[in-house]
Amino acid sequence: MAAMTTVAREHGTALVAADGVMKRYGSFTVLTGVDFVIGGGITGLLGANGTGKTTLLGMMLGLHPTDGGSLRVLGIDPYTAGAEVRARLGYAPEHHTLPPDVKASDFVRHVAELHGLPKREATTRASDALWLVGLGEERFRPLGTMSTGQRQRVKLAQAIAHDPSLVLLDEPTDGLDPVQRDDMLALIRRVATEYGIDVVLSSHLLDEVQQICDGAVIIGDGRVLASGSLEELRGGGSDIVVELEDAATVQPVVAGLQARDIAVTVDGRLLVATGQDDRVFDIARDVCAHAGAGITRLSRRRLSLEDVFLETTS
Amino acid sequence: MTDAAIYEQGYRSYGGERTGVGGAIRTLVAHSARAVLGIGRSARHKVMPVAVILMAYTPAAVFLGVAALLPNEIEGEVLPSYAGYYGFVSAALLLFASFVAPELLCTDRRTGMLGVYLASPLDRRTYLLGKTLAIGSILAVVTIGPPLVLLIGLWLADSGPDGLGDGLQLAWRIILSGAVMSAFYAAISMAVSAATDRKGAATATIIGLFFGSLAISNAVVEAGDQSELYRLADLVSLPFELTSRIHGEEGDWASRDISTGLIWLTVLGIIVGCGLFVWDRYRRMLVRR
Repeated sequence: MAAMTTVAREHGTALVAADGVMKRYGSFTVLTGVDFVIGGGITGLLGANGTGKTTLLGMMLGLHPTDGGSLRVLGIDPYTAGAEVRARLGYAPEHHTLPPDVKASDFVRHVAELHGLPKREATTRASDALWLVGLGEERFRPLGTMSTGQRQRVKLAQAIAHDPSLVLLDEPTDGLDPVQRDDMLALIRRVATEYGIDVVLSSHLLDEVQQICDGAVIIGDGRVLASGSLEELRGGGSDIVVELEDAATVQPVVAGLQARDIAVTVDGRLLVATGQDDRVFDIARDVCAHAGAGITRLSRRRLSLEDVFLETTS
Repeated sequence: MTDAAIYEQGYRSYGGERTGVGGAIRTLVAHSARAVLGIGRSARHKVMPVAVILMAYTPAAVFLGVAALLPNEIEGEVLPSYAGYYGFVSAALLLFASFVAPELLCTDRRTGMLGVYLASPLDRRTYLLGKTLAIGSILAVVTIGPPLVLLIGLWLADSGPDGLGDGLQLAWRIILSGAVMSAFYAAISMAVSAATDRKGAATATIIGLFFGSLAISNAVVEAGDQSELYRLADLVSLPFELTSRIHGEEGDWASRDISTGLIWLTVLGIIVGCGLFVWDRYRRMLVRR
């Protein structure tokens, strides 16, 4: 079994734990054995289209059995105890087609009732949820008259109205313009931070995961390519970047570092020294001082999520 | 006094009881019934159910009026039998049967609601159970309701059955025959609706299936001079014939040597066969999420 990384802001309880999960459709293998643990906060499920993200969400909902390995959601096997798990999950599907002639408030109330809320409570909470996503004034409008952005908000409202422990959002910004997208991401952030509902967000857009997620699971070729907190994935704690003032000082600094057994790559005035402990900071500072090199920047190297994605998928 | 109002109360957690799968099924049934009857929907969605219900109940109202006006001695010659009542409302029954299941099943698949339902405590089995209960109950509004209203009305007008025992026996027969008829129409219309996502196509196919079976069965038996047993394939007459037998009346097929047991077997076979087909379709169905 590959080493599992907990993707979590809080390391208390594993919300989702996958251990060698496999999924096949006929002769086509979608997941070849994925391992990860998702904890609290917002976790991005990242991967190109068709890599099995929606399949994995379906398995978390208990809609498909695994063909190998084990999957637990909220500590329960979702396939054998599907109803119990789904009662505690919120889910916003990827597609935008919703019943066109049903009012938003009726739709959200109906989904809340399906998840076990009594009618009166469901009615109140449906209204509250629609206010929270910014559709309070529009809540009696039929869904068919709403824009894509509004329908995405309705989908979020129906996912949180019944007070789930975990919300699964499948491509929640699909079809939104940049302004709507930022608003939606802010809303999702609010769901996790203010309302205390943990979120798993499936997306193929790296920057939105980078913008709001605490952690990510990157899927490709049917396996987990990388997983962990965003800090870990982006290289927090590894490699040191030294940016020098003067290009003429690059050579003596590189020579000084190499003499202290530190591997260095050079890109103009930018040096990347490999090493994870604070000792490398001190050595870099001393070598620069010895060579009379002015330092513009001395920091840990941070990758963008795109760099991580490209590194893991290449 | 101020006009200030709090609209956003913030997010509150819910710590109360949850109704579980049973509650989800009840919600599904109630929501489906509201959808078909056009409750909470625009006026155009109310036209069909209101028209059908009027068609189904108007004869009962007329017969009750007739019973109130005519002397008891001749009202028996004017009023239909309880099984015969369905002859007056057959168009309403077929229209409703062809409308309800496509509205409830095809729409859920086309609008992605099926995916939303399956992400709730419902699964395919409990979803279909809820939809079957909804379709059966709604059809019962026109299969059980009108003759029951007629019975109660006649009883109140002192023109009904003699004594409580006879009245209860008649009520039981009305409920049994109406329930079987609902199950029969629900099964066929659900099977057709499970085969296509297009509501209009499903409705047209159901109507075509009923009238096609009637025409073909008649042609085979009468023009083709084949066995009378081929009448069992007539989906229009079959439930009416069974209703007559349940009420202890001689139906149109009494002289044709088709036993009541065989009619029961055919009706139940159709219900079970259609049920298995629906389950098989939904079991294999790829749900859009």
